Amino acid sequence: MHEMSIAVELVRQLESLAGANGIQRVESLAVQAGAMRGIVPEALDIAFASAGEGTVAEGAKLELEIVPAVAKCRLCGCQFEPSVDSYLCAGCNQADVDIIQGNEILLTSVTGLEKNEGRDTNED
Amino acid sequence: MKINVVKNVLEVNDAAAAENRDLLDEAGVLAVNIISAPGSGKTSLLERTLPALGELASAVIVGDLQTSRDAERLGDKARAVTQVNTEGGCHLSAVQIASALGGLDLAGLDFMFIENVGNMVCPSGFDLGEHVRVAMLSTTEGDDKVAKYNTLFQPADVILLNKMDLLGVLDYDVSRVYDDLSRINTRAEVIEISAKTGEGIGRWIDWLKKAAAGK
Repeated sequence: MHEMSIAVELVRQLESLAGANGIQRVESLAVQAGAMRGIVPEALDIAFASAGEGTVAEGAKLELEIVPAVAKCRLCGCQFEPSVDSYLCAGCNQADVDIIQGNEILLTSVTGLEKNEGRDTNED
Repeated sequence: MKINVVKNVLEVNDAAAAENRDLLDEAGVLAVNIISAPGSGKTSLLERTLPALGELASAVIVGDLQTSRDAERLGDKARAVTQVNTEGGCHLSAVQIASALGGLDLAGLDFMFIENVGNMVCPSGFDLGEHVRVAMLSTTEGDDKVAKYNTLFQPADVILLNKMDLLGVLDYDVSRVYDDLSRINTRAEVIEISAKTGEGIGRWIDWLKKAAAGK
């Protein structure tokens, strides 16, 4: 359940971004996660809902995009998308690669209500 | 309002990992992150490894969900053993390692062994600031695990196949492991060992010494 570590860090970053931008409630956020991270979307949703309780991120909708992995052969430099059971370079017939995409977890956008907008202000 | 950003969600971990590595580099210590399933023999491996390193000095950081049992087993074999209880967390983080390193005197140390929490998935995604990563698979876990847990074996610098003394008792086809590794990681040296009998430990010690010398 490494999704919990990721969720806790997401909430920490959302609180910091919200504070810096005058956001009182985060409505949604977009996250890109590399395929190598093995994130289970449902597990991340549950972890995020739990980690966000009582924070600006409570109830926010997490939009997750899984980014495919890209391997780079250390021997010939060619790049290809590995499969879960093969990192074999077709040219070299060796599985000696660096993962150049697929390990990242990025927060890419946040949508939120500013402090002076939304339903909780004194409208009457 | 919508804010577009590009923020590394694991920036705290990754920054701590970089600092850990710098600290260990300055002290000339090789950090070794050992990852495997629970019960595959990480602590037994260290019980064999620490005395076999002879004059070379080691410290150990042991991660577990609960208890200090592993630290107690290793206590008299290393210069220092630090138990990190993750209180349910399924992997060690670089911040926990930074905290453990803060309480240690690194001067004169050659190796910092990090025994990660027993888990074949979660620890793989968290850089601790190690220099080398060890993936271990024991025969009791089955010969089909390399492809199933490819994110553990793909980045490993060395792969230890433990409990080889049980080969005759189990339905374990070691050629299946090598076949999977031929597609997943051909860079890592594969060493067959038995932490119980001591088989293969000499080759593992040689690998460690070479890794420390090449750092």
